[in-house]
Amino acid sequence: MTRSPDPQPPQNTRAIMGFLREHAPFSFMDEAHLAHFAEHAVLRFYADNDVVLSPDDGAVTEFQIVKQGRVRGERTNQKTGEPETTFEISQGECFPLAALIGERPTRTLHRASGDTFCLSLDHDSFVILFSESDPFRDFCLRGVSSLLDRVNQHIRSGAMESIGTSHSLDTPLERFALRNPIVCSPDTPVRKAVARMHENNVGSIVITDEARRAVGIFTLRDLRTIVAEGDASLEIPIAQVMTGNPMCLPAHADAFEAAMQMAEHHFAHVCIKDDEHRLIGVVSERDLFSLQRVDLVHLARTIGTATHLRTLVSLRSDVSRLVDTMLAHGADSGQVVKIITTLNDVTVRRVLELNRQRNDPEISFTWLTFGSEGRQEQTLLTDQDNGILFSVPEGMTEDQVREKLLPFAESVNRDLAECGFTLCKGNIMASNPKLCLSGREWDEWFIRFIDASTPQNLVYSSIFLDMRAVFGPSGPLEDLLSKVLTRIQKNALFQKMLAENALNRRPPLTMFRGFRYAPDGAPHTLDLKRQGLAPFVESVRVFALANSVEEANTLERIDRLADKGVFDKKDANAWKEAYSLIQAIRMRAHQDLLDKQLPLSNFINPDHLNPLDRRILRESFRQAQRLQQKLEVTYQL
Amino acid sequence: MLNSVKAWLNRHRYTHPGEGELPHPKPLRDQPLDQTRLVVLDLETTGLNPARDQVIAIGAVVIHGNAIDLRDQFDLILRRPELDISETVLIHGIGPEALTEGHETEDALVHLLEWLDGDPILAYHSAFDKKFLEKTVRQQLGYAMGHSWLDVAELLPLFFPKAETGGRGLDHWSEYFGLQASTRHHAAADAMVTAELTLIVINKALKEGVTTLAQLDEKLRHWRKLNNMKQY
Repeated sequence: MTRSPDPQPPQNTRAIMGFLREHAPFSFMDEAHLAHFAEHAVLRFYADNDVVLSPDDGAVTEFQIVKQGRVRGERTNQKTGEPETTFEISQGECFPLAALIGERPTRTLHRASGDTFCLSLDHDSFVILFSESDPFRDFCLRGVSSLLDRVNQHIRSGAMESIGTSHSLDTPLERFALRNPIVCSPDTPVRKAVARMHENNVGSIVITDEARRAVGIFTLRDLRTIVAEGDASLEIPIAQVMTGNPMCLPAHADAFEAAMQMAEHHFAHVCIKDDEHRLIGVVSERDLFSLQRVDLVHLARTIGTATHLRTLVSLRSDVSRLVDTMLAHGADSGQVVKIITTLNDVTVRRVLELNRQRNDPEISFTWLTFGSEGRQEQTLLTDQDNGILFSVPEGMTEDQVREKLLPFAESVNRDLAECGFTLCKGNIMASNPKLCLSGREWDEWFIRFIDASTPQNLVYSSIFLDMRAVFGPSGPLEDLLSKVLTRIQKNALFQKMLAENALNRRPPLTMFRGFRYAPDGAPHTLDLKRQGLAPFVESVRVFALANSVEEANTLERIDRLADKGVFDKKDANAWKEAYSLIQAIRMRAHQDLLDKQLPLSNFINPDHLNPLDRRILRESFRQAQRLQQKLEVTYQL
Repeated sequence: MLNSVKAWLNRHRYTHPGEGELPHPKPLRDQPLDQTRLVVLDLETTGLNPARDQVIAIGAVVIHGNAIDLRDQFDLILRRPELDISETVLIHGIGPEALTEGHETEDALVHLLEWLDGDPILAYHSAFDKKFLEKTVRQQLGYAMGHSWLDVAELLPLFFPKAETGGRGLDHWSEYFGLQASTRHHAAADAMVTAELTLIVINKALKEGVTTLAQLDEKLRHWRKLNNMKQY
């Protein structure tokens, strides 16, 4: 029957449209497409345990949505021969997308869990919707990831409201780049180069060779230095005063990469090159952050050159404002935690430098950070976990060195606390004599740690096995790390205990697909850090350590593990997405609390999330369950 | 659907087919439960007395191949009591100006009979709907053939004797199975819930080896006898 021009479709059609409208991706679809769906659907019933769809049914022809009840995927465990549940599909969710798109039979037996009703659409109607509705097609092809984009858009637009600006940090650099940048050859006199800058009203000039490759950059700031120092003539060739080997990025790199490079190295300009390394443009800090009051590069530079602790403390509020800005610019959660970590690193380094200026212990040492700071996964809520790895000068004992370093460390810990890095309750700080050790002592410390795997040690594994050097030479840490990794790799028992420990924190899902609330928070809340992120961080750590992955960052560890073939590429992506999403929701909650001037907390009430976020959060927790399952299978737990 | 109703109305307005041309009801024979077309129907009436009260709305959905097929449904409001236009019939979605006085109810009923196509009808407390519908088609069209009816209110306790529903109403059973009516006391919405319950019944019946309409009818008669005996 044809669709009626009547504005009011029949009651039952309207009811089904109403149901669809409550669930993504249908909630993003046009009314006409929803009506098409509702008018062509068929409703089926499956009693508990009935087979809904089987690999024996042949190529899948119907698109189905759970209207009521649940459908679970069942595969036979190769080892035990027992059926096990691989996934669960609940109200408003669709199946079997991959098989339907691939026009093949499903690989998983689908069974009803409890009395279940499913709406299904035949192949012809599915094809019509697929070709006519963009959100629907996007969803079918990309599944839950397409919804993830929606969530990110949502986070972005929320932050946008408070900032009001335009472009995204994912934008390729070439869009920002000044085309036909002002250039000169290395032998151009400084005066002539500056005149050219002045004529074109720009702040920088790139020095190129015959092949148009950037060999140096000269900025107004360099000119200021020449003039202030007053000893160089303006007639000398620019090659003598330019900054050589300027930072260059390919055109397809994105704005975020450029911003991070600038912040890390305190540069204000990046050259854009083509595949043959020829200069095609220049991007300045101001191009990237033209509309903002606080910018990352400037902030990093201000922190890095602050001369008083006071200044550092006052700059911390800018960091929070910057996070808001970054979210508005479309930085994803992974980017934002990196920004926070970068700025925290700059702050830690500056605190160390200021302390050394005041009272230099005159000992070569490496400042270590552990835990989330070590993983570069800090959010605004962070405490100190640090230590010192020192080398022993000839003629001194380890205790003598420690005696010199401990007062210094104590002062650094105190200053960091003033900057907002809360003192560590467990005293995991460099001022603790047990954590201010020489390379040899650290090595022995780790031998004890790995061999005597006491429950207490295992609790500490999340701290000490994620470490990174923030200040001082990195060589000593690399040596230590390679010894530690080799030891863990050889110690299957320790790995197994780590794996067991990682399974202690289960994702907060109940058997009935509800949320399992945190035992220690306010009623109906989830702990996003301990219940949400920890299962990922801890499981990934076990795989990373067992496979000599040196990175401490969870996302980077997942990448390396996928490179090494330990993780399936698709799984790795799903886990990264899920992890990032929980992190994003956590950060958004932090920003909200800051706005309301409330203390930061990792607890959220899922009822306060919109239905899409809630669903994605549940989907993310389910991915954590899958990751833990992999751990169980690998270590036969 | 409504377009086709309209088109049909225009075509048949002054040439009603006689009873002989209307589809004949099909008895409950060996039609397979999971392949035959079954109509699940619900009427809204002005009251409970078939002798005095009128049908206001007819809602019906079709179960075919063990599924409710939303492409094949019937949703018609015959008369709105709040408007109280005694002989005027407002057919849902069709403006009054398109209708000529006097024939609308007939048109709608003829269309209903054609749409039913003589297929068995299921309803909740079907005796009620059966009386009202048969009275109406007899009075309006002189159509006196009886459809085969099955009562979902009987089928449910037959197949789920242990269910503790706390009552025998449609609401009790839908609550028991966690079903939700999109709106209450709307003919089409109630027909939908009744059809969902029917799907649950068919699922159970097939598992118990009841595969044809005749077997279902037989089982129902047996259950009624037992029930009557229990009462004495």
